[in-house]
Amino acid sequence: MDMTPRERVITALRRGEPDQIPWMENDIEEALQEQIMGSNNFTPAQLCEKLGLSAFGAHFPMGQVADGQGLVTKETYQESYYHPNKLTFDFFPPWIAQMGSDPETGRTYIEKGLLISDEALKLFDEFLPDPNHPARYEKVAEWLKEYRGEYAVFARIRLGAASTIESMGLEEFSYAQVDNPELINKVCRRFAEWSAEVIDHLNEMDFDFFWANDDLAGNHGPFMSPKVFRELLLPNMRIAAERIKKPWIFHSDGNLFPIMEDLLSLGMTAVHPIQPGAMDLGKMKKEFGSRVGIVGNIDLDYTLTLGTEEEVETEVHERIQTAGPGGGYIVSSANSLTDYCKLENVLAMSRAIKKYGKYPLEG
Amino acid sequence: MNNFLEEIKEAVINGHTSKVQDLTRAALDDGETPQTVLNKGLVPAMSIVGEKFQKGEFYISEMMISARAMYGGLNIVKPLLLNQKVESKGKAIVGSVKGDLHDIGKNLVCMMLEGGGYEVVDLGVNISPEQFVDAVKEHKPDFVMMSALLTTTMAFMGKTIKALSENGLREQVKIAVGGAPVTQKFADSIGADFFASDAGEAVTKANAILYSL
Repeated sequence: MDMTPRERVITALRRGEPDQIPWMENDIEEALQEQIMGSNNFTPAQLCEKLGLSAFGAHFPMGQVADGQGLVTKETYQESYYHPNKLTFDFFPPWIAQMGSDPETGRTYIEKGLLISDEALKLFDEFLPDPNHPARYEKVAEWLKEYRGEYAVFARIRLGAASTIESMGLEEFSYAQVDNPELINKVCRRFAEWSAEVIDHLNEMDFDFFWANDDLAGNHGPFMSPKVFRELLLPNMRIAAERIKKPWIFHSDGNLFPIMEDLLSLGMTAVHPIQPGAMDLGKMKKEFGSRVGIVGNIDLDYTLTLGTEEEVETEVHERIQTAGPGGGYIVSSANSLTDYCKLENVLAMSRAIKKYGKYPLEG
Repeated sequence: MNNFLEEIKEAVINGHTSKVQDLTRAALDDGETPQTVLNKGLVPAMSIVGEKFQKGEFYISEMMISARAMYGGLNIVKPLLLNQKVESKGKAIVGSVKGDLHDIGKNLVCMMLEGGGYEVVDLGVNISPEQFVDAVKEHKPDFVMMSALLTTTMAFMGKTIKALSENGLREQVKIAVGGAPVTQKFADSIGADFFASDAGEAVTKANAILYSL
């Protein structure tokens, strides 16, 4: 008998072999969701059904104007965090930063991190919502009940590393490593403790797994040395990670190999997105595939955004052949499906996963 | 003569800003020229930092810490070089292309270029083809260096090259492109002169072009 999409995901996350390799995405930008569905009013399950996705989370337009995560400012964030007016399954702390917005695209970006001194730590009280405020959990619990169906549903969280780097700014974060390492420690601990409290609530909800977005690496390797990572970030990330009582995926772009052993000590179920420009999928499978699930590796820099449908099919086939044997692999883009992916390539990805992803895999 | 230049190199690599400042002043007091401090102390130090980054021995944070230390010395010798009207090795204008608001890679390229002895005009982020054209007319650089982090904005690299051609400026400059999604293949397809996979390589490849001219 065929597995349900949820069973496929949980089986693959736990390094087992489902009946069919699942597909899921950390995020699908709302403008692309609209292109896929031909409307801005659909349920997450309808999007999953259309593409053949096995899980959903993140956010959906649900009849409203498509956007990203919205402009995060301290004036607006707490209210929109407690009382989201759009369907969301995200539980991110805000960036404690001066935000900008590109007038042409509406995309928001960080102009300047604000946590650059001990004095600035008081900004935490202004920016962070109360992690124990019941409103968001109650609302999301209703949505889970209404929309989950037979799909796996995930909550997106952070462990603290990305929040620290972005809220200090990479330059100040770097200089603090020699000038004031304790500031990094304090910032990361505060974010991790906030997430830990959020996680306590999420553990009691009907989520199937968590997806921890903590970008901390570039194409060459982590932004900081493994020693700095080990001393200033990892112990704080562990505060949040140890509270998780469900399967979870760690996400960071870039080359994670130099700190992979340290990361694995956090106890995640799987790692995402194994960015092809930075990490080799075969090496990941061979060296770490027996210890952790693998999610991702469909290229966003060229294949999904600039390539042809044939190139997408070839790449999906090749990735399944590399990481699929024995199970423990979930297909996903090597970050998220952005609104600049070609629609025909996203649909080609959907067809290719169905074509090549059935176990037993063809030679 | 004391071995200040070697000590400057070591202090830059280790990211000790105040030590670099002290050693730079000491070297000048000891009779070294500003050019020597720059070309035999600060520049080779950043070249070593770039190599260490390429080899995976240094990470971005360490490169930034070294760059800050290098500026500690550069800010002392720069006014002296200007007074002596010493020409820089070459001039580069650097910017993230239109639509791209990312600046980490672009900033690193600026730091490494300055540490490599170049005069740098940092145009900032979200720079349109027309702004690049105007900047080339104004600054008359040897190099135009463009950065992009998104595949959508990469297209503006080609458009900028086209705009430079249309304005009769293409042959006056060497054009470099870089950023996470950018590849040699892409650089070739848009007619860039070179591609750099990181900030250190941007300097070594610019040097190679200068020396071959």
